[in-house]
Order: sequence, then structure tokens, then C-alpha cells
Amino acid sequence: MIAVIGYDSAMKKHIAIVEDEPALRENYAAALGRYGYSVKTYGNRKNAMQAFQSRLPDLAIIDISLEDEAEGGFDLCRDLRALSAELPIIFLTARDSELDAVSGLRLGADDFLTKDVSLPHLAARVAALFRRIDALRRPGDAAEIVRRGALSIDGEKMQTTWNGSPVALSLTEFWIVHALARNPGHVKNRQQLMDAANVVLDDNTITSHIKRVRRKFQQSDPAFDAIQTVYGMGYRWVE
Amino acid sequence: MSIRLQLLMVALTTLVLPWAGCQYARELETALRDSQEKSLLASAGTIANALSAQPQRVFRDPDEKASFDPSRGDLYVHPLRGAPLLDGYRDDWGVAADPTPLPTATAYGARVQAGSADRYLYLYIEVDDPHFDAEPSDVHPERDRFDRIDLDLERSDGTREYYFFGTSAPGLIAAQSIVNGGDGRDHAAPEPRIQAFWLQSAAGYHVEVRIPASFVGSRLWIEASDGHGSGTAGVNAVHDPQGGHLFSRTAGLDDLLSTFIRDGIRATVIDGNALKLGVAGNLGEGTPGDTDAAPGSWYRRLMAVDASSFPLFSSPPDRLGGNSVAAALGGQSHAEWVRNAGSEELLLTAAAPLVIDGQTRGAVFLEQAGDQLLSLRDRAVSRLFEFTLLATAAAVIVMFGLATWISLRIARLRDAAETAVSSNGEIRLEMPESTSADEIGALARGFERLLVRLNEHTQYLRTLGGKLSHELRTPLTIVRSSLDNLEAEALSEGQRRYVNRARDGTSRLQSILSALGAAARVEESIRQAEFVNVDLRELLASAVAAYRDGFKEVRFALETPADPCFLRGAPDLLVQLLDKLVENAVDFCPLGGTITVLLERRAGTYVLQVQNDGPPIPPALHGRLFESLFEQRQDRDDKPHFGLGLYIVRLIAEFHGGTAVAANRADGGGAVFTITLPLI
Repeated sequence: MIAVIGYDSAMKKHIAIVEDEPALRENYAAALGRYGYSVKTYGNRKNAMQAFQSRLPDLAIIDISLEDEAEGGFDLCRDLRALSAELPIIFLTARDSELDAVSGLRLGADDFLTKDVSLPHLAARVAALFRRIDALRRPGDAAEIVRRGALSIDGEKMQTTWNGSPVALSLTEFWIVHALARNPGHVKNRQQLMDAANVVLDDNTITSHIKRVRRKFQQSDPAFDAIQTVYGMGYRWVE
Repeated sequence: MSIRLQLLMVALTTLVLPWAGCQYARELETALRDSQEKSLLASAGTIANALSAQPQRVFRDPDEKASFDPSRGDLYVHPLRGAPLLDGYRDDWGVAADPTPLPTATAYGARVQAGSADRYLYLYIEVDDPHFDAEPSDVHPERDRFDRIDLDLERSDGTREYYFFGTSAPGLIAAQSIVNGGDGRDHAAPEPRIQAFWLQSAAGYHVEVRIPASFVGSRLWIEASDGHGSGTAGVNAVHDPQGGHLFSRTAGLDDLLSTFIRDGIRATVIDGNALKLGVAGNLGEGTPGDTDAAPGSWYRRLMAVDASSFPLFSSPPDRLGGNSVAAALGGQSHAEWVRNAGSEELLLTAAAPLVIDGQTRGAVFLEQAGDQLLSLRDRAVSRLFEFTLLATAAAVIVMFGLATWISLRIARLRDAAETAVSSNGEIRLEMPESTSADEIGALARGFERLLVRLNEHTQYLRTLGGKLSHELRTPLTIVRSSLDNLEAEALSEGQRRYVNRARDGTSRLQSILSALGAAARVEESIRQAEFVNVDLRELLASAVAAYRDGFKEVRFALETPADPCFLRGAPDLLVQLLDKLVENAVDFCPLGGTITVLLERRAGTYVLQVQNDGPPIPPALHGRLFESLFEQRQDRDDKPHFGLGLYIVRLIAEFHGGTAVAANRADGGGAVFTITLPLI
């Protein structure tokens, strides 16, 4: 499923990695560098913030616990979001509790990955995020729009709307909804959804992602029940 | 032996109190008896002293010292209560003694008894002579032969008179004396003042004689002879001039004696022959002492002083016997406990010698009923018994109560200790009795401290997996990301092989770590679960359909009730529970084997079973299968299994208020996992 990301090298994207584990930091930097990104690494929040204040990166990958700050990543995310509302932020952490994921996403992170993710997967997520940013900057392109009743999915901009109003889905959630809505009535099991979202998650995380997706849709339409659980198999989209 | 029983045994030792009481009562009785003996003896001595000062009131003739010898025809004159009817019978005499045999040299038997009443002397003579020889008319007393009784009387002045009795026909007769008739021979002349009644019977004849007291001094001879000449019995003044003494009571002595004694004591004065001279008082039968005897009798039986060794004592109307009398007549005061012959009552007897002018002339003999003493003792002992038994009962009850209380508390503590660690590993830290100040409280507090430490340790072990998986995740990620980077380099075929092996190893390591951390995630998702109405039947149907697609290598059978089975529960969790059970069953089910999923209602619960063909669960694993991270059986693919699946099953079942149990199929051909879920 790992697509080779074609990219305009003339506009070399700038990625900041804030990670207190040097070996990991260097490995991520090396991998992303191989994919053509320009990577800067920081070991703690202070160094990162100093650098961001002089120049913002195009994308930030942040670990939640930074050196002696157990939740330094959350603080950094908040500060960064204050500097830029649009900067894509990915949390990459050894923590895997749902609470951490929810906290991170609520602070405005665009995606939340555990460190179990492989480097090609990480690169794919990064590329997908950049694609979404680029698509948003290219207005009028109506390609790859999936419409299912009140649902409208823009695969290019990675935007979802329900009855015209946008639903703010994270990248993982977007791919789950995308996979379900593309073939209404077909049951997608958890493995298929994981593949679609390009993540390695356990069953429970898929379940909680589905719950969160339903809740996000229900915020704009309390009557939303288009995602149905098929016990023992998975989920399907009903119209 | 339980504490209760032990304390009961201890309490029973208080029964030694009544026993000690008995011993005390026995000593008390001995002391009482001793003092009573002394007291009675002192009384006897006092009376003897008083009487010896006035011998003329004791003895009819103070100088008379004749000894009593029945073989000489000596007679004791019984005091009669009233004048008897002269009828040949002595039934109305009221004398308990039998008549005394008259001395005889032949086979001719005759017996005599004397009594005095109302200035008359009465004689009763019975002769064993069935053949009646009548007295001829105009009898010649010296020559004629007929059944006769000769009587010699010595008057107070020493003159002697001779009379005889004989009759031509039985009935009321008079004595006859012999007078010298003018014709040169003796004739019989009746003496009408001496009356007699001659009664003839088949065994012989009885003669009851009444003689005015003035006719008799102190001696009298009686001889009976047969008209056929077959023999004689008795004595006469000619052959036995020393015999025929009459011994009788001393007039007025009874009254004198009665001034010395108190109730309950009988005093008897005897002469040197032990013959009674005077009697006063009675033993007080029927005094209040007897009323207590009946209820107290069982104490008496329980701790009876052995009375059978006491000599039997009887008091014939004429003469006293026994050790005391013998000792007193020998000059020594003596007291003795005896048994009354016949009634078996205990009697205390005391005798003191009656010494006149330095000579022992008789004795004063006192008797006192022992019942008084017994009743005194019985009252004391029965009170003692009541108190000590009460005390024993109270001690037993208190100790039994205390023991019950203590063993109840210990039992409570034991129950709490046994259930302190529940089947799902929860540890209850509270122990009963921990606020008590005594040793049991200390034990309970000791248990609590133990449980706290156990709980800390358990918590540590429980979180160890999650912590470990978290701490290992970063270095593992370094290894994996390094491998990812290495793959991007230009690697030779050999290098790539090693990289692939390293990647296999890290992915296995990762699966182990995620299993370690999964328990915490499951618990978190359980906390967030919401209950809805679920139709278990529908859920099972859809899930089993999915398993049929997912696990082609085994067959699935589904048995559910015909109608919907609603339950309040979290469907996601229930499906997860089913997933884990089925995954486990598939792991152990042989290829082509059958897995049966069964649902039924049973007594307010839903029973969900997943059965699979395959090897049975080894006995060692029973009860441990549902533990967290318990390493399970080897399965087909020989992968190491961390038993998180069944742990999750248990968590979910318990979250729904149910239970999870593993067992082997009855036929031994597989395993059965049973989940019980309450209906509501």
C-alpha cells in the first residue's frame, strides 16, 4: 500500500522533528531526508520553539514527552498552533492510550501515530498531509469527490462535509470514512480499515476511531447513523 | 477440639467445687457426730451422777444385788399400760417380748411372762400340753394327777404361800390353796382373790393369772406339771430356794428420768443385769427433721457415710444389750452409733455407769435419733450443692458463651481471610475485628497489613506488563526504524537476509509488547463502555457467520433459543469476548473439527458456551486459564501464547456481572468455555 510519493523537489518541504531520543530522531530524519524532505531535529521544546519563532517548518512531528517534560509535546503543539493555524502537526509517541490521542487531536494535531508505525508508513502519512494542504491551496479542482447522500468526500483536499457543513476528521478518520463510503453496504473489517488508513492499530483503536467519527458527524447532525456495526465482521456505510 | 469444647472442659472442672463441698460436709458430719457423741455422753454422765445420789429412787431395794438368771425361774415384770382383760390371751398386754421358757429337765415345754398394772401382778403361762387332764372333783392335791400349775409366793415379810391351778373345765378359775381338812387329809380351798383364766387349745393351754400385788414380795416360783406324768417345767421353792426372783421397774423412776431429758432423747436406767428400771422420753419420730430427708436423700446416697458397719441395735422391753451397755456396766462411759434393727435408722447411744458407794450398780443409757444430724448435714450440703452447682452452671454458661463469641470472631476472621483474595484477584483490604483491642484484633490487623502488602505487590505485578511494554517500546522503535533505514541502503543479498531476520524478531517482540500493554487498554475501554439493549441471539448469528468466513479450517455449529434474547450490555465488548473465545477454540480445534457456540436461558441467566473438539485442558491449568498473561497451552502453530484473550473474556464477563468457567467436555474430546450472564 505504500505509494511512492512523487514530489516537486524544487519546493523542498521543510519538516521539524521534536524528539528527545537522539537515535530515533536521527533515524526519522534520515528516512524523511531520503524521501526528499529537508529535516531539522530538536531535542527539547525550548530549542524547537526558538527555531520555530524565527522560521516555521512546513510540517512538525512532535513526541509528547520531551526530556523532563512529560507532556511537553502538548505544550509545544499549543504554542505552535498559536504561531500558525494551518501548520500540519503529527504526534508521534510511544504512548498509545486513547486519552493521549484525543488530547493531542483536540489541541489541533492533524494526526496521531504511535511509534510502532514503520518509516515507510510515516513517510506516507507525511505525504498525505502535504497532499491535503496542497489540494486546499488549489481551489476548483473537483476531482475525486465522493458523494453519498448528505456525505461529500473530497479525496484530493481530504475534506469531508455532511449536509454541506465540514466535518473535521483526522487523517486516520478520513481514510476510514473514505473506505466505508466508497462502497456503501459492503462490510469492511478492521484489517481493511487499518489498511485503508495506512496505520497499524489494534482492534480497540479502530473501535474508538469509529466512535469518534460517529460523534463528529453527530455534532452537525444528531440523527446521523450511517455507520453500522456488523458484529464479528466490521462496519458498513448505509444510506 | 474446638475452642468451645476446650473451654467447656475447663468449665467442667468447676464441678470439683461440689465434690469439695461433699468432702467438707463429710468432715462437718464427722465433727458434728463427734460433738453429739460427747454431748450425749455428758448428758448420760450427768443423769447417772444425779441418780446415784438418790439410790432409793432408782432401786426398789438398794441392797438387793441378786443377779438375773432365767434358768432359776427369775422373771422380769413388764410394766403394762393398763389392766388387761383376764381371758387367757396376752394380746392386750402390749409387751413386745415373747414369754420366757421355764427351765425344764424334760421335754415338757412351758413359757411364762409377768407384768404389773394397777396394783396387780399378772402372769401369763403357756404350756405345750395338748392333752387336757381335768381336775377331779374334791381333789386330793397330793395324790390326784391332773394338769396343774403350782405357784409359790413369797410375801414382802418373807412368809410363803402355796397355791395351785387346775380345773375340771377350762374357763375362769381361782387359785386353790391346800388346807388341812378335819378328816386327816388335805383338801383344796379356792382363793378367790387370785383369779385366772384357763384356755385350752390344740397346742396346749394358756393360763392368765391375776394376783394382788400385796400377795407378792420379790420372789415367786412357777411349776407346770402334766396329769399324765410326761414331765414338769419350772421351779419350786423347795428345790430352788435361791430362784424365782422378780425384777421389776422402780415406781416413780420414769417420772424422775423425764425431768432430766429433752425431746428426741430416750433415757433408760438399767440395773446391773441390764434390766430396765425406768424409761423416759421418745426418739421423736416424725419430728421436722424428717421432712427434709426426702429431698436430701439423693445427697445422702451420693455421699452416704457407710452405716452398714454400725452394729444393729434393738431395745427389747425388758433388757438392753450392746457395747455401750456392756461398757457402762463394766464401769466405763461409752457412746456408739448403731442401726436400729428393723427401721435401719441411725441411732446414737451413750451409756454411763451408775456408781453407788463405789460399785457399779447399773447404767444410764441414752438414745438419740441420728436423723437430726443427717437432716442438719443434708440442709448444709444441699445448700452447698445448690450454690456450687449454680456457680458451675454460671461458669459453664459464661465460658461457653465466651468460647462461642471467640470462635465466632475467629470464624469471621477465617472467612474473611479465605475470601480476601477474590477469584478475579481483587484483594479486599478490610478485615473484620480489626478494631478490637485483643489478640484477635491484633491478628486481624496483622492480616490487614499482610493484605496491604500483598495488594501493593499485586498492583505492581499488574502494572508491570504495561510499564514494561511502554519502556521497551522506544528502544524497539529505534531498532525498527534503524532497520527501515538500513533497507533503504544498497544491501547485498546476504545482508538483506540478516536484516529480514532482524525484522522478524522485532515484529515478534512488538506483538509480545502490545499484548503486554493490551490489558490496560481493554480495562480502559471497559470503563468507557455504555450499556444498551442487545439481542444476544442476533449478535451470535452475525458473529458466527463472520467466523465461518474467517476460519475456513474448522466448522461452526450454532444453537440458540427460538426467540430473541435481550440483555443489557456493551455489544462491542460482547463481540470481543466471543472473538477471544472463538480464537482460542480455533487454536486448539483440529483441522475439520467442529466449534459449537451455544446459547440458552437457565435460571435467570444466559449461558453462553463455546465448545471445541481437541485436546482436553490439562488439570494443572484449571482455574488459572483466566489469569492475566498466563501462558497457555501449546497450540498448533507452536507460537508462544500470552493468555490475554481469556483474561479479557473474564474482564468482560465480570463487567456484565457474569462469570467465566473453563472445563473439559464430558467425553474428554475437547474443552468447554462457559460464560454466564445475568438477564438484567
